Amino acid sequence: MRRQVRPHLLRFLKHLGYNYLYMTSFALLFTLSAIGISETVYLIRKRIASEKPICPIGGGCTLVLSSKYNKIFIVPNDILGLLFYITASSISAFLFIGVPPLTFWSLIIKLSIAFGSILSLFFTYLQWRVIHAWCFWCLMSALTIWLMGSIILVSSLI
Amino acid sequence: MKKTSFHFLRVGLAITFLWIGVLIFKNPEAWGGYLQPWAVGLLPIPLAQAMIGTAILDIAIGAFLLIDFLPWLAALVGAIHILIVLTVSGITDITVRDIGLLVAALAIVIDSLPQEVLKWFIKKQQTPEIG
Repeated sequence: MRRQVRPHLLRFLKHLGYNYLYMTSFALLFTLSAIGISETVYLIRKRIASEKPICPIGGGCTLVLSSKYNKIFIVPNDILGLLFYITASSISAFLFIGVPPLTFWSLIIKLSIAFGSILSLFFTYLQWRVIHAWCFWCLMSALTIWLMGSIILVSSLI
Repeated sequence: MKKTSFHFLRVGLAITFLWIGVLIFKNPEAWGGYLQPWAVGLLPIPLAQAMIGTAILDIAIGAFLLIDFLPWLAALVGAIHILIVLTVSGITDITVRDIGLLVAALAIVIDSLPQEVLKWFIKKQQTPEIG
């Protein structure tokens, strides 16, 4: 009897662990994207008001944010960042609630975070080698996206 | 309040409201289970619908706080909402944390209240009633 129950129990515990891991990863992705939204909204407001953002570390925020790399085609990077974070937070909420089609949402969030991580890597390289100045908000955003990427990677591997 | 600490509190509370909204959306009936029977009896609409309405309100409060748009109004609505939650569900092992959220929301209201609103409120109190 015990031998029959154990595999079921193990499967149940595995299911619980799997669910717990996925739910935690969506909660973390949602939290990080919400932080990203607040950061990008702050930068957009400062840009519209033509004010300098507070630059706690580095001191090169203005130099980086007003450089020629501050937009892709005609869209400012802060707007692109905001759109990315709104998409990521909405999709992680959809995945958590279970809004179909789950496979599609899962693919979209993975692709967008992968793309965002590569773009953040490129922007960090620009700050380091081309502009020679560090922007606190840009680095915070890059770190947020890389953390989101790490969460996706870890949850996929386990 | 120092500016940085205000923003930490604002974003933290925003995420809490947003995530609670998402949690209620996921399982409105389960969250409705926290309501006292007398409160459920007062509802003019089904419990699940009322809980979905609560989720939408939570997400709206969270969104306003997150983008720093009328934070005093969002926090005021949030504080009233938490007060209602505490009234209709009672202070339990779960809702006891709402006391902290209520005070945090009130701190945001006090700190971000615009001077115009404050002046209007003071003026309203000082004006003697006619008749």
